[in-house]
Amino acid sequence: MIHIPSLKSTTKKIPIQKLAAPNMLYLPLTTYKGTLSTIVEKDSYVKKHQKVAASEGVFASSIHAPASGYIRGEVNIDNQSYLMLENDFKEVAIPAKQFTINNITEDEILSTLLDFGIEGSGGAKFPTHTKYNTGSKPIDTFIINAAECEPYLSADYTLLKNYTKQLLEAIQLMQKVIKASAIVFGIEKQHKELKPLILQTAKNQDIPVKIKLLPNEYPQGGELQLIKSVTGKEIPKGSIPANYGIVVSNVGTLWAIYNAFYKGTPYTNRIVTISGEKAENIGNYEVAIGTPVSYILETIGLTWNATSQTVILGGPMMGKAVQQPEIGINKGSGGILIIPNPTNKRYNCIQCGYCVDVCPQHLMPMEFARYSTTEDILQLKNFHVNDCIECGACAYICPSDVPLMNSIFKGKELLKATSL
Amino acid sequence: MSLNPYIKPKKGNTSFVMLDVIIALLPLVIAGYFAYGMQAMWLLLIASGCALATDVIFSALLLKQYRSALDGSAIVTALLLCFTLSPITPWYMVAFGAVAAILFGKITWGGLGKNRFNPALIGREFMAVFFPVVMTSAGIWATKDYIQTPATNLFPGLSNEYLSSYLSGLVYKTNGAMGEYSIALIALGGFYLLLRKRISWHIPLALLAVFFGSFWFIENGQNYSYSIAGVLLGTLFMATDMPSSPTNNYGKLYYGSMIGLVAFIFIIGKVSYEYMSYAILLLNGFSYKISEVFRPKVWGEKLDYKKRVEHIFYLTLSILGCTLAILSLHYYDMVSYLIYIYIAYIVLKFNFSFIKNITNPI
Repeated sequence: MIHIPSLKSTTKKIPIQKLAAPNMLYLPLTTYKGTLSTIVEKDSYVKKHQKVAASEGVFASSIHAPASGYIRGEVNIDNQSYLMLENDFKEVAIPAKQFTINNITEDEILSTLLDFGIEGSGGAKFPTHTKYNTGSKPIDTFIINAAECEPYLSADYTLLKNYTKQLLEAIQLMQKVIKASAIVFGIEKQHKELKPLILQTAKNQDIPVKIKLLPNEYPQGGELQLIKSVTGKEIPKGSIPANYGIVVSNVGTLWAIYNAFYKGTPYTNRIVTISGEKAENIGNYEVAIGTPVSYILETIGLTWNATSQTVILGGPMMGKAVQQPEIGINKGSGGILIIPNPTNKRYNCIQCGYCVDVCPQHLMPMEFARYSTTEDILQLKNFHVNDCIECGACAYICPSDVPLMNSIFKGKELLKATSL
Repeated sequence: MSLNPYIKPKKGNTSFVMLDVIIALLPLVIAGYFAYGMQAMWLLLIASGCALATDVIFSALLLKQYRSALDGSAIVTALLLCFTLSPITPWYMVAFGAVAAILFGKITWGGLGKNRFNPALIGREFMAVFFPVVMTSAGIWATKDYIQTPATNLFPGLSNEYLSSYLSGLVYKTNGAMGEYSIALIALGGFYLLLRKRISWHIPLALLAVFFGSFWFIENGQNYSYSIAGVLLGTLFMATDMPSSPTNNYGKLYYGSMIGLVAFIFIIGKVSYEYMSYAILLLNGFSYKISEVFRPKVWGEKLDYKKRVEHIFYLTLSILGCTLAILSLHYYDMVSYLIYIYIAYIVLKFNFSFIKNITNPI
């Protein structure tokens, strides 16, 4: 764990603004594990909120049209598939589904989560219906992940601040499925002003909640680290929290759940923080899923320029630099950051051990750099490369800019390719 | 294309790490100036100049790296080397030591960070082997005539004479090697590095606790003589050298304790000057193994403690075995052969192995 200057104060006080939908939407077809198949014909007309692509299986998901218009076929940008939707700006929507919240059944909730394409908004895009399908497992703790530990990002903060009541309603609804004995909000200390607000609102709605203030450290919002901080349980990577009586849900996801059941709309919009040293009109925006990065840049008064700036989709620690400006916002993108191009001052590893000190998973990242270059698969396994959560804390602190993330990705690929 | 993360801490890169070490060593340079004036300063300048020149020339020739001198590590090595030497060491020996430290302690390993042994101590051992007569003569420590500022009672207000002279000795004295004139300033430098997180408390604490604990534990412990300033200098600036020490905290605790124990054994075994260098260099050799054996428990992992204890047991056994071996070599005056073997090993290893991995950062 490591303290990183949060840089959130510039955006966290600005109210949420709505970004108008663009002329052309690029709906991402990549999901948690797999790809969605388009279920509408090319050049056919789709209404707003109509399902346009879906997948099946345990990790099934779907995506819906954020606007009415014409489907213009699939396109591959930077090895990811996108479905193009040309907006006709007529806002012809399918009728919003009505739910009787008081009599809703567990099955109806779970099938709606699937039908409305709700996915984890923290970044991993884990299908929400799978997460809440805990069956008969007893759940002790329902953790609300409000530890938005990525610097710059304040989308979850503004949601909690402005939609406290709505989020609590979503929590109450999901309690019908998981029936957790305790509801705990995990909030970083830097946002402690939210504590009285949440407690008071919850009291008014008669929902028993607890608030756990967490240190301002990265990656406090990592699921495993959050679970430890809240419940004291240290569960290994790859295990299902529900087996330990825990369900963790992100604030952005709860917002999507609220919209699904109380507004009858599928997951077509999310809150995105626009920030960074080179950004203009920074703040938190409600953006349609599939809005291309280039359009967002234009709207805030910038142009796409790969040489003078770096645009990041997501947070600065785990996000990815945008290579093609057409790529659309996906359900896991919490931010668009426009920052100066990072400079890389590469030295040899000096064995300082800073990466070991900061690794939240207690790994020795420099060993991945050592054994990825020599392709020593046995040692990569001995040093548990697969337990890495790819948070980037090691590469952040490394004084020599050793390509640790490269080594980790390569190491994981090497391990995947063998039977070890 | 660059990968995440896209932000970095300001002023955190490797040359800043080296700059911090230099800052921590500067007070000792000043103490050296007070004690021996330009005599000491010349040696520091010669060592720094030779180290930098060797770094520039041989990094370019052997490693095809042209900016390595800018990282500041050569200066650190030169200063540390001088701090273990007498202020009246002949200048050509110091120059030789500095060249050997950089060439055989750093460059032939593949450059900055890849060395398994502390370069300054390697330089010192090269001097001891190639100039044995001068290095072990009593004359080299006869520095009285060169003193610029004699040590005086700095606490005249204290009525207890023993206490005031003891305290004065902690702040400033004029005997010993160039880095040993002020225990207070050594400690100050150490605190600076601790505050800046360039060293962690693990190695110094474990080392000093075991070292002094061992003397306290045995009978007649007070009868053995060693330089407290030298032990402290070695502890804070050499045992904590990043490339040659373990990378995780439990490893550092073990490593520090073992240096303390081994140095104690050497002193008991009548190694009169080199106890600290031998102990640190010996444990340097085991650093990587220690890091591996003391790998932190991965998140959620169930550690096999039985297996770990077994590994630690065998590791300790090998370290103690090597300690006794070096003690025997010292007894029969054969330590120089270790340096010859080292030279042969590193030259072969460089030509046949390290040279292929020069572009690897680790």
